[in-house]
Amino acid sequence: MVTAMATQIDVTVLLFASLREMAGTDRVALRLPAATPVGAVWGHLPEPIRSTPPPAALRYALNDRWIAPGTPMSGGDRVALILPVSGG
Amino acid sequence: MPAVTLTHDPLSVDALIASVAGPEHGGIAVFIGTTRREADRLEVVALEYEAYEELARAELEAVASEAEALGARVAVAHRLGRVPVGEASVAIVAAAGHRPAAFAACRLAIDEAKRRVPIWKRAVHADGTTVWKDGLSAPVS
Repeated sequence: MVTAMATQIDVTVLLFASLREMAGTDRVALRLPAATPVGAVWGHLPEPIRSTPPPAALRYALNDRWIAPGTPMSGGDRVALILPVSGG
Repeated sequence: MPAVTLTHDPLSVDALIASVAGPEHGGIAVFIGTTRREADRLEVVALEYEAYEELARAELEAVASEAEALGARVAVAHRLGRVPVGEASVAIVAAAGHRPAAFAACRLAIDEAKRRVPIWKRAVHADGTTVWKDGLSAPVS
């Protein structure tokens, strides 16, 4: 049904550092209910990530811009999970 | 827009200095971050850096702009990939009319870069183990 299709969106999740190694890939494609907030992505990632507690300081980017975890996603969005950084 | 470089090649501090030096500047402050031989009481042979390049570049530009607002010209370079002990992973150069602004801008830039920019390091130890510094991982073989 058209209505049912419209309630699902396809998004890409970008993974870095130990998240990338845990997933074995630097990006994961997810089909999620429309308007799922970026902060809910963690629980949809492959094991062993989703059973690992996310760090309290986890941040998010949507289409290469910082974003609050409550922001709803749209189809085609690219979400990045930003673990505590350690450059320098 | 301040000069920001992300590169897998060794950093050239001389080139960075040349990019901001000028006859109106009487002071140039330089910070160079290098791979230290020890981390968490383990011998380190290299650090390996990974970036979310699109956002890291934008965030480094924002940091450098904030530093320039202190009255300096600022250039920032961060190396990615494997950085052996003793080699530079990050270099910040701030040129200003006088040293207070140069030091202040250099200090702000490195402190904010380390706090905000989406770049991560993994320590490679002499015994072959590695560990990500990202608040998540435990040491793995």
